[in-house]
Amino acid sequence: MSRSRLLAKKIGWALVTVMVVLTFNFFLFRVLPGDPAKAGVKDPRLSAEAVEAARVRFGLDKPVLINLDEGPWYDSQYFRYVGSMAAGDLGESYAFKNRTVGELVGKALVNTVWLVLPAQLIAIAAGVALGLVAAWKRGTKLDVGALTFGLVTWSLPTFFLGILLLFFGSRWFGFPTAGRVTIGAEYTSIWDQIGDIVHHLFLPTLTFALVLLGEYLLIMRSSVVEVFSEDYILTAKAKGLSPGAIVRRHGFRNAMLPIVTLIALNLGFTVSGAIQVETVYSWPGLGKLTVDAVSTRDFPVLQGAFLLLAISVIGANLIAELVYLRLDPRVTEV
Amino acid sequence: MSWYRRLWDHRLGRVGVLMLGFSLLVALAAPLLAPTDPYASVRVSIDDIYAPPDGARLLGTDDAGKDVLSSLIYGARVSLLVGFSAAAIALLIGGTVGLVAGYRGGRLGNGLMRITDFFLVVPDLALQIVIVAIIGQSLRNIILVIGALGWTTTARLVRSQTLTIRERKFVERARAVGAGDLTILMRHVLPQVLPLMLANTVLVISLAILSESTLAFIGLGDPTKISWGQMLNFAFSRGAVSAGAWWALIPPGLAIVWVVLGTTLVGNALEDMFNPRVGRHHLEPERHLRTRTDSPRPSAPDIALAIRHLVVTFEGDHGPLTAVEDVSFEVAKGESVGLVGESGCGKTTTMLAALRLLPPGGAIPSGEVEFDGLDLATLPEDRLRQARWTRLAMVFQGAMNALNPVRSVGDQIGEAIRTHFPERTKAEAMRRARELLELVGIGADRATEFPHQFSGGMRQRAMIALALACDPEVIVADEPTTALDVMIQAQVMDLLVDIRQQLGMAMVLITHDLAVVAESCDRVVVMYGGRVAEQGTVEEVYSHPAHPYTRLLLEAIPDMEQPGRSLISIPGSPPRLDELPPGCRFAPRCPEAMARCHRETPPMTVLGRRREASCFLLEEPARV
Repeated sequence: MSRSRLLAKKIGWALVTVMVVLTFNFFLFRVLPGDPAKAGVKDPRLSAEAVEAARVRFGLDKPVLINLDEGPWYDSQYFRYVGSMAAGDLGESYAFKNRTVGELVGKALVNTVWLVLPAQLIAIAAGVALGLVAAWKRGTKLDVGALTFGLVTWSLPTFFLGILLLFFGSRWFGFPTAGRVTIGAEYTSIWDQIGDIVHHLFLPTLTFALVLLGEYLLIMRSSVVEVFSEDYILTAKAKGLSPGAIVRRHGFRNAMLPIVTLIALNLGFTVSGAIQVETVYSWPGLGKLTVDAVSTRDFPVLQGAFLLLAISVIGANLIAELVYLRLDPRVTEV
Repeated sequence: MSWYRRLWDHRLGRVGVLMLGFSLLVALAAPLLAPTDPYASVRVSIDDIYAPPDGARLLGTDDAGKDVLSSLIYGARVSLLVGFSAAAIALLIGGTVGLVAGYRGGRLGNGLMRITDFFLVVPDLALQIVIVAIIGQSLRNIILVIGALGWTTTARLVRSQTLTIRERKFVERARAVGAGDLTILMRHVLPQVLPLMLANTVLVISLAILSESTLAFIGLGDPTKISWGQMLNFAFSRGAVSAGAWWALIPPGLAIVWVVLGTTLVGNALEDMFNPRVGRHHLEPERHLRTRTDSPRPSAPDIALAIRHLVVTFEGDHGPLTAVEDVSFEVAKGESVGLVGESGCGKTTTMLAALRLLPPGGAIPSGEVEFDGLDLATLPEDRLRQARWTRLAMVFQGAMNALNPVRSVGDQIGEAIRTHFPERTKAEAMRRARELLELVGIGADRATEFPHQFSGGMRQRAMIALALACDPEVIVADEPTTALDVMIQAQVMDLLVDIRQQLGMAMVLITHDLAVVAESCDRVVVMYGGRVAEQGTVEEVYSHPAHPYTRLLLEAIPDMEQPGRSLISIPGSPPRLDELPPGCRFAPRCPEAMARCHRETPPMTVLGRRREASCFLLEEPARV
C-alpha cells in the first residue's frame, strides 16, 4: 500500500472513531433518567400543548435514527444531533445559567492544555533521557534506582500523589492549595499575574510530570534495551563507532519508534491523570469540569466535556501515527 | 516446575505474593481485626472529629469521628472485591474476544479488533465517569463498568497467542480428525493460552483496584461502602488538609499503594517467567578486560593475524562456562582460512572474541590476538575502536538485522568511512559507498534505499560492501550464505572469493560446509567442542585427515564423482558448554576412542609447519 493511501486510511479511521464516539454519546445521553428535556415533557402539570411545544423545541417529535416519514431522511434526532455537534453547538449548561456548553468546555480546555502540555514535555524529555541512561548502564545502581522509581510511581494513584504534594507543599513551602489564581489578588504588572499563575501551576505540574515520568522511563528503558541487543548495534560496534555515536545514530531513533506509539496509546492515561490532578488542585480544566458536571448532574456539560476529551485523544493519536510514519521508512501497511 | 513454585522462588515475586496475601488476610479477618465496626452508627462529639492518633485509636479519627484503622481494615474488602471481580469480568470478555478473533480470523476477527482499537483510544476514566454517573454508583455497577471497559489488553494478547497456537501441529491434527471448533478451543487452545494470560491477569487486577479507588475519590464510589478511595474522598473534601489530619489521608493512600505494588511485583515476576525479555545488550561495558603492559610476541612477517592460546568464557548460573579453550592459529597476509566444524563448536565465538565483540557475559580470561604488534584481546577500548574495520572487518551471519532498518544502506557504509577517515566529506564517503555497492553488483543508484527494500542476497552483498569500506587487511565472513537460497549462495560466495583475490586481503571463512572451504580456501582449521581438532592446508587436511572428526566430516560431503557412496552423518551432537566431557571433547562420538581419550586431553601434535592435530592416535606411529 502506498504511503499516501496509508495516510488517508489513518485519517479516515480517526474520523470513523469520532463518529462512533458521537453515536455512543447520542445513545448514552438519550437513556438518561435525568434529562430535563424528557422529564419536562413527562411533567403532569403541563398542558398537552405545552408538552407538544417542548417536544418540538427539543426535537423529540422527530424519529430517533432515520426519518422514514415525510421530509428528508436525515431529519431525525440523531442527524440533528450530529449536525449541531459538527456546527460546534454543544447545547446549554443546566448548572450555569445562560452559559453555552461550548463556552464552558472551550475555556476549560485551554486551562487543561496549560497544565498538561508543560507536564508532558518535562516528563517526555526527562523520561526519555533517564530511560536511555538506565538501559545503557543496565544493572548499575542508577538503573535499579530508575526501575524502582518507575515501579513506585506506577503503583501510586495520581490523586494520592497529588494529595501528598498538596499536603506537604502547602504546609512546608506555602504553595496555594486550589485554583488558578489567588482570589481577589490585584496585580501591579502582567509579570505579577503570570508569577501567580505559575505559583499555582507548580504543584499540579509536578504531580502530573512525576506520574508520567515513571511511565515514560519504564517504556523507554525496555525499548532501548531491546534496540541495543539488535544485530545492527553489533555491526555499528564492529565498525568502530564509539558507544556515544552508536547511541546517537543507531540507538536513539530506533528506540523512539515504539515510544511514539506508546505515548499516543498513553494519551488516555494522560486524560485520566488530568482529571485526578485537576480534582485535587481545583484546577478549572476539563477534568474538573467533568467531575463537577457529574455532581451537579449537568449532563450537557458532561457530554460536551467527554466528547472533547475523546476527540483530543483521537486527534493526538492520529498525530503520533503520522510522526511514526515519518520516522520509520518500513511502514507500508496498517 | 509449576508456575506458582517458580513465582515463589522469584525474589520480588515472593515479596509481592506476601504483600497481597497479607491484604487478603486482613480483608477476610476484618471483623476480628478492626477495633470498631465502621458501619455501625455511633454518636460522636466534636472532639472525635479528626482526633489525632493515640493509644486507643492508633490512626486517629476521620471527618465523621470514626476510627481510621477500622475503616482501613474494612476498606480492604471493597478494594479487593472490586479488583478481583472486575478483573474476572474483563478477563472473560477479553479472553473470549481474543480467542474468537484469533481463532476465526477473517471479517469477524477484524471487526472484533476494530472494536478493541476503539476502546484503546477512548479515555477510559472519562468513559467510566460518564457511565457510572448515568447508571448509578452502586458497587455492582462500578464492578460491571470497570470490568466491561478493562478487557482490551487481554483481548489483544489472547488474540496474538491464539494466532500462533492455531497454526501448531496438534491443533491441525485435532481439526483433521474432525474435532469441532469449540472442542479445539477448549481442549487445545485455551490450556496453551492460559499460562500466558497470568501476567496480564495480575495487571488487570491492579488496574481495576486503581480504577475503583480513583472513581471513589472523585465521588463516584458506592456511598454505602467504605473503600480506601472513599476515605480519601471524604477526608480530602472535608478539610483534612487544612486540619493537618495526615492520619486521615496517608494511611488509605498507602493501603492502595501496598496492594497495587504487591500486584505489580507479582505481575512483573510472572512476566519474567513466561516472557523472558532480553535483559542484556551489546553496549554494556566489558567487565573482565585484562590490562597488559608488554607487547605480544611478533609473528613472522607474512602473518596478518595470530590467535594464540585463546580462551573464551561465558557467565553461567554456576560459574563461568568455557566456550573456547586454548585455540591457536594464524592467518597469513592475503590468505584465506576456513574455520569449520558443526554448530556450537566455538567458531563464531573465536572470531567474535578476536574482534572483542562477544555477547554480554563473555570474557577472554587468557590468550592473545596479535595483529601488527598489538594484542587486540587486551587493547584499551579507544585504541581497539581504531583497529576495528580498518584492520579486521566482519560479514555477519544472516544480514536480516545486521543493517539498521531506518537508515539507508549507502548512509551506513559512508558512516564506517567517516568514522575512520573523518577528513573525508560526507559527499566523498557517499561516493565511495556507491562505488562499493557497484563493486558487489548492487548498483550505485540503490545507495539511498533502505535495507527492507533489498532481497536477502542483496543485503548480504551490501554487508560485503560495508566490510570493504575501510580496506581491512582481514575480512571475517561468518556463514555468509546460510540464510540464502542455493543459487544465491553460490553467487555470493563467488563474489566474496573474487573480491578477496582482487583486493588481496586475507579472509577467515566460518562455515560448516567443507565443500565450500575446498573451493575457496587455502588453509583449514577444524574446531570441535571449543578446541582446534586439526589444521593445515586444504590439500593436506582433505587428503590426509589426521583427526577422526575431520575424517567423519569429510565423509559427510556429497561426492559428485562417487554418487553411489552413502552419506554418513556423525551420530550425536557437539557437547553443551555446561556438559563438557573430561578428556578429548570428541571421545563420546569418536568411533576410534580409546579408554584414555575419555580421561586425558590429547596434546596438540605438530605434524609440519602450521600443520597440527590433537589426537592420541597420532602418538601411535603405526596409525599415521
